[in-house]
Amino acid sequence: MGDEIRLALPASPEHVPLARLTVASLAGALGFSFDAVEDLRIAVDELCYLLGADGRPGSIHFEFDVDKNSLVIIGEGAPGGPVREFAELSEQILAATVSEYTVERVDDHMTCRVVRRREEALA
Amino acid sequence: MTVLESGSRRPVPDKREVRELLMEYHESGDPALRDRIVEIHLGLAEYLARRFDRRGEPLDDLVQVASLALIHAVDRFDPTRGLEFTTFAVPTIVGELKRYFRDKGWALRVPRRLQELHLRLATTVAELTHELGRSPSIPEIADRAQASTDEVIEAMEAGRAYRSSSLDAPISGDDPTAQSWKLGQPDDNFTGIDERSELASLLRDLPERERTILLLRFYEGMTQSEIAERIGISQMHVSRLLSRTLEQLRRRAAEEDRAI
Repeated sequence: MGDEIRLALPASPEHVPLARLTVASLAGALGFSFDAVEDLRIAVDELCYLLGADGRPGSIHFEFDVDKNSLVIIGEGAPGGPVREFAELSEQILAATVSEYTVERVDDHMTCRVVRRREEALA
Repeated sequence: MTVLESGSRRPVPDKREVRELLMEYHESGDPALRDRIVEIHLGLAEYLARRFDRRGEPLDDLVQVASLALIHAVDRFDPTRGLEFTTFAVPTIVGELKRYFRDKGWALRVPRRLQELHLRLATTVAELTHELGRSPSIPEIADRAQASTDEVIEAMEAGRAYRSSSLDAPISGDDPTAQSWKLGQPDDNFTGIDERSELASLLRDLPERERTILLLRFYEGMTQSEIAERIGISQMHVSRLLSRTLEQLRRRAAEEDRAI
């Protein structure tokens, strides 16, 4: 079992940098490459977008599970702005930046789980 | 007439002369009077511009912005209200300089050491990628850049606050080859995207370079460093363009209430 880090932030664009800094710091400490850290920053940005970081009331909760070979991110919040469905570009972004991803929506609650394994070449 | 303030090289305008000129200009609108008032206060404009020097924008440009703001201040100043002109002009000029940074350069809240490190990382990452034959780790970058890993991560984030003055112009201190970027021919089509979709329609509106970088990264599976090499710009610049393009797409999708 690795370390678990939790982060809760208001669903607002000005707090998204906190999530990016957190993931970059964790991935950097794991020895992930610059490319992988950049990918994870983009993936977390996208998760914030999917989870409603558009200034509405509410919050986004992240859990980062770190072990020596992977970083797992679980994000929960309300579905974001115009993203009625898990839209095409969001899916493409996650597919290109993480090793695995799932997005589940139940009514007004959305849960995203992504995994990035160390130095995995992503297509 | 202007006099030099003791211990300073900044000329201090003669207040009485300025008041008379302003009143006369307010009544007559004579451009020669305006020129004279502007000339008297050019030292003030330059002094204020210098306060914003070394933040990533050339001083000459800052002086020009401050001088234009000074002209606008002369035009908008109402001497009948009894205010000193400088009380009105200083916040006007400073406001214009800040707006310039918001629009054209670094957001002012980014500390200079992070701005400089961000620009330095462009070269550091490129060198290490070339030497190692792979994307370097953050500790490797920190070691080469003589910074801590936290500083490197902060400097990566600081890139979000950078706005190049033109999307097509090279960024000062970074990407000397930015204007000679070379696109791969087959990649600027919409491989894998339904041409009639909302997404295709938004992508069509992007500048060609931004669209190509986005397609190469998310549809062709190239890494940022591979794209940087292919396009002929630094990886830090690819990163900035990608994040900016995604922000732009999300904003437009939100404005038009589309799902992309």
